[in-house]
Amino acid sequence: MMQFMTVFKREMLEAGRNFKWIWVPLVFILLGISDPLSTYYLPQIIESVGGLPEGASFEIPTPPAHEVLMMSLAQYSQLGVLVIALMSMGLISGERKSGVAELVLVKPVKYSTYVSAKWSAVSVLVLVSFFAGLIASWYYVNILFGDISLLDLIWTWFFYGLWLLYVISISVFMNTLFKVPGLVGFLTILFVILTSIITNIFSHVLEWSPAKISGYIRTMLSDGSIPGDLWGTALVTIGISALLLIAAIYTFRTKEMA
Amino acid sequence: MAEVFETINWALVAPLLVIQLILQVVALIDWFRIEHTNGPKIMWLFIILLLNMIGPILYFVVGRRQE
Repeated sequence: MMQFMTVFKREMLEAGRNFKWIWVPLVFILLGISDPLSTYYLPQIIESVGGLPEGASFEIPTPPAHEVLMMSLAQYSQLGVLVIALMSMGLISGERKSGVAELVLVKPVKYSTYVSAKWSAVSVLVLVSFFAGLIASWYYVNILFGDISLLDLIWTWFFYGLWLLYVISISVFMNTLFKVPGLVGFLTILFVILTSIITNIFSHVLEWSPAKISGYIRTMLSDGSIPGDLWGTALVTIGISALLLIAAIYTFRTKEMA
Repeated sequence: MAEVFETINWALVAPLLVIQLILQVVALIDWFRIEHTNGPKIMWLFIILLLNMIGPILYFVVGRRQE
């Protein structure tokens, strides 16, 4: 446990020095507030961009509050995942390439400690950033569109946070497989895209696939109660993330020994 | 265009501008202090200054050399 905290603290310190603790939360806040704002100002934006024939008018219905929050989540599932993949692509692979990993592992630090501490450090950063972004989005949705209860927001954070942890686990796993950060980032994104493609194709079989979590969150927000499928999906997501982490520790151990 | 500016509630848009400013300033401070960037250093100055929002983020993700 002591070892874990040491590696964890070192990781936190480095994230601070890299300004990650400044720019990642800010980017998540930007992603969170851009959709409520642009949806709200859509009529004005269309008007000022022009290009419509004289006299053309059409009513743009105001979407319900929870739909706008879902738009913010959609931003996180695209650009947020991209940011996570790019931010964490050098996490272990970069250190292995430069030899820092050897400097750490020459000391009596377990491989499992090293990998899990790094995973936790990124997870804390991402979950805190995601929370900040979601709060910002919630604030704007409440002002511009309508009320969403704080409880619903926290559940959204919890369940969608699991999906983000899944993305981080993929990234950590790829980090232990390859030494080139660019390749790691690319494969992480590919893996995430594959998850949703496979889920779409085998939609009727994979009821609890991690990629379906945002769909169930939508149901939760519109119905006001947590559907049973959401719990199942959450469990499956946690399970796959844990398996990825164990696989990461295993490959890391065999790769470093060789 | 002028009336569009008036219809915008600046209290709503201001946070967006503040966040962008913070990102840009932090990226600039780091740009001054860092010795080497990924690629020509002067190029990153232009990217940070000229590309709104995306510039500083690109700098943090790609520009800082991963050593």
